[in-house]
Amino acid sequence: MSDSYVIVGDGIAGASAAETLREQAPDAEITVLTDEGESLYNRILIKEYAKGKLPEAPISIHQEEWYDEHDVDLRLNTVVVDIDVENDAVHTHEGETFEYDSLLLAIGGTPQQLPVENADADGIHHFWTFQDARRIKESVEGAERAVIVGAGLLGIDFAAICGAQDVEAKYLMRGDCWWRYALSEEGASIMHDAMRERGVEPVFGSGVDHFEVDDDGHVEAAVDPNGERYECDFAGVAIGLNFNTEIVEQTPLETDNGIAVDEYMRTNVDNVFAAGDITTFNDLVLGEQGKNGSWGSAKEQGTIAARNMLDYGSEAFEWVSSYSITHFDFPFLSFGHPTIGDDSVEATTAEGEWRRVALKDGKVVGGVLIGDLSPQSAFKQLMREGRDVSDQTDLLMEPGFSVDDLAATTEQ
Amino acid sequence: MRYRMPLRETGRRLRLRRTGWIPPGARVRHYDELGEDAQILVRKLAGRPRTAPEHGDLDDGDFVKFTDYYQVRTR
Ligand SMILES: Cc1cc2nc3c(=O)[nH]c(=O)nc-3n(C[C@H](O)[C@H](O)[C@H](O)COP(=O)(O)OP(=O)(O)OC[C@H]3O[C@@H](n4cnc5c(N)ncnc54)[C@H](O)[C@@H]3O)c2cc1C
Repeated sequence: MSDSYVIVGDGIAGASAAETLREQAPDAEITVLTDEGESLYNRILIKEYAKGKLPEAPISIHQEEWYDEHDVDLRLNTVVVDIDVENDAVHTHEGETFEYDSLLLAIGGTPQQLPVENADADGIHHFWTFQDARRIKESVEGAERAVIVGAGLLGIDFAAICGAQDVEAKYLMRGDCWWRYALSEEGASIMHDAMRERGVEPVFGSGVDHFEVDDDGHVEAAVDPNGERYECDFAGVAIGLNFNTEIVEQTPLETDNGIAVDEYMRTNVDNVFAAGDITTFNDLVLGEQGKNGSWGSAKEQGTIAARNMLDYGSEAFEWVSSYSITHFDFPFLSFGHPTIGDDSVEATTAEGEWRRVALKDGKVVGGVLIGDLSPQSAFKQLMREGRDVSDQTDLLMEPGFSVDDLAATTEQ
Repeated sequence: MRYRMPLRETGRRLRLRRTGWIPPGARVRHYDELGEDAQILVRKLAGRPRTAPEHGDLDDGDFVKFTDYYQVRTR
C-alpha cells in the first residue's frame, strides 16, 4: 500500500508541500483539506485586486483541475476540528475522518480584532483571504472616508487601497511613526510622505478607543484615546495575527506562539509536520527559535517539510526571508528580523533612500531598505554567513556596499 | 518548486516594459515571489531602457508587480 499524506491548509505552504510530495512520491495518496471555498490563490496579490489594479483571474494559482491532474484529493470548505495523533487521524466539522501516515499542518493565522467596543461592526475589515479582498473592494468603491489601524506591513496595504481608490483616510497610529519597531522617524518619514501624497493622513499618538456605529450597526466613526472622532464609511484593521493553534491544544503537539518544529519542519510527534506562518522553527540562520511571516519563506517551508516527510533529515530549512512594499514609486524591503537585535545602524544614503540594519552580538539579523534595494543580497549573505561586522558597521551604510568591502573576519 | 532556475543560454535578451493594463489570462508575479537573481534583474531593468540575458524565472509575456506593473519581453 502507498503512503498517505494529509495536508491541512491550501495556502502557499500546504500547496507547495503537495506539489513536492507529488513530484517525489508519484504513488502517494495526498489529501488537502482547506476551510476556504477556493483553492490556492496568490495571497500577496489580493491587495492589488482590492486596489482595483488586477482582475480576479491572475490571482488564482492552482485551479481545481490542477488537483485532479495531480491526483490530489482536494476538499474545500472543510474545517479540521480535531487531530488524533495517537490514531493518526484528523476529524472535520462534518464528522469525516481522514487517516494519515504523515500529517502536515500548514494552517497559518487569523487577523486579530481590536479589543474595543464595536470592533466587529459591519464595515470594519480585516484582511487575510480573497473573500476579505472582495468585501474590502466593494466597501472602498462606495466610500469617501476611511480609518486605518495597525502601523505595520499589512496596515499599509489598506492605506494603498484607499489611495488607489481615492478614499480619504486617516491612518491612526499609537506611536510617532509607522512601523516604529523597525524604522526610525527619519526612515518612516519617507513612508508618511508617500501616504500623504495618496490622500492618507498619518495621525500619531492615536489609536482606537472605540468605534461608533449607526442604527444599522455599520461603523460610522473611530474615536481615539484622546477623544478625537474620525468619521468613516469603513475601517481597515491590521494589528497582527492569532496563529491557528486551537486544533492542537488538546494534543501533545508543542506550541510556542505557533506550532514548534525543528529545522526539518517536524513537530515533537514523529509523523506530524508543520510549515508556513504557523511555525516557530529552529532558525539556523538566527541560531534560536524564529518565526517568519512571508510568502517566500512559507513556500520554502512547505517544500522542505514535504522532503522531510518523505525522508526525515534530508534537507534543513535555512532561509533569510524578505517582504517588500511595492505600492509607491520607490521600493521598500524588509529582510530577516528587523525588529529584534541589541544594536542598529541607519543612514540616509541619498534623497529618498534610507536603510537600517539591525545587529545582534555584532551580526546582522535583519533590516529595512527604502528606495535603494541594491544591498539586499549582500545583507542576506552576511546573515547566512553569520559574519561579525561589529567593527565595520559604517561600511554597511555605504552606497553600493558589497560583502567584499568588509575586511576578512572570522565566520561563524 | 525551486526558486532559482538556471539561466537559459538562448542568446535572447529580456526587457521589462511598464504597463498599466493586465489582461485576465495573464500570469502575474509579485516581486516577493521571485528568486534573488530574478529580483536583481527586475530592479535593474524596471523603468529603464535596458536589456539583460533571458532568465528562467521570467517568461516572455509574464507580468511582474514591482513599483509598477511590468511586462516581460524577450527577443
Ligand atoms: C493582504 C496580505 C498581503 C501580504 N503581502 C505580502 C507580501 O507582499 N510579501 C510577502 O512575502 N508576504 C505577504 N503576505 C504574507 C503572506 O501572504 C503569508 O506569509 C503567506 O501567505 C503564509 O502562507 P501559509 O501557507 O503559511 O498560510 P496561509 O496562506 O494563511 O494558509 C493557511 C490556510 O489554512 C487554512 N486553515 C487554517 N485552519 C484550518 C483548519 N482548521 N482546517 C482547514 N483549513 C484551515 C486557512 O484558511 C488558510 O487557507 C501578505 C499577507 C496578506 C494577508
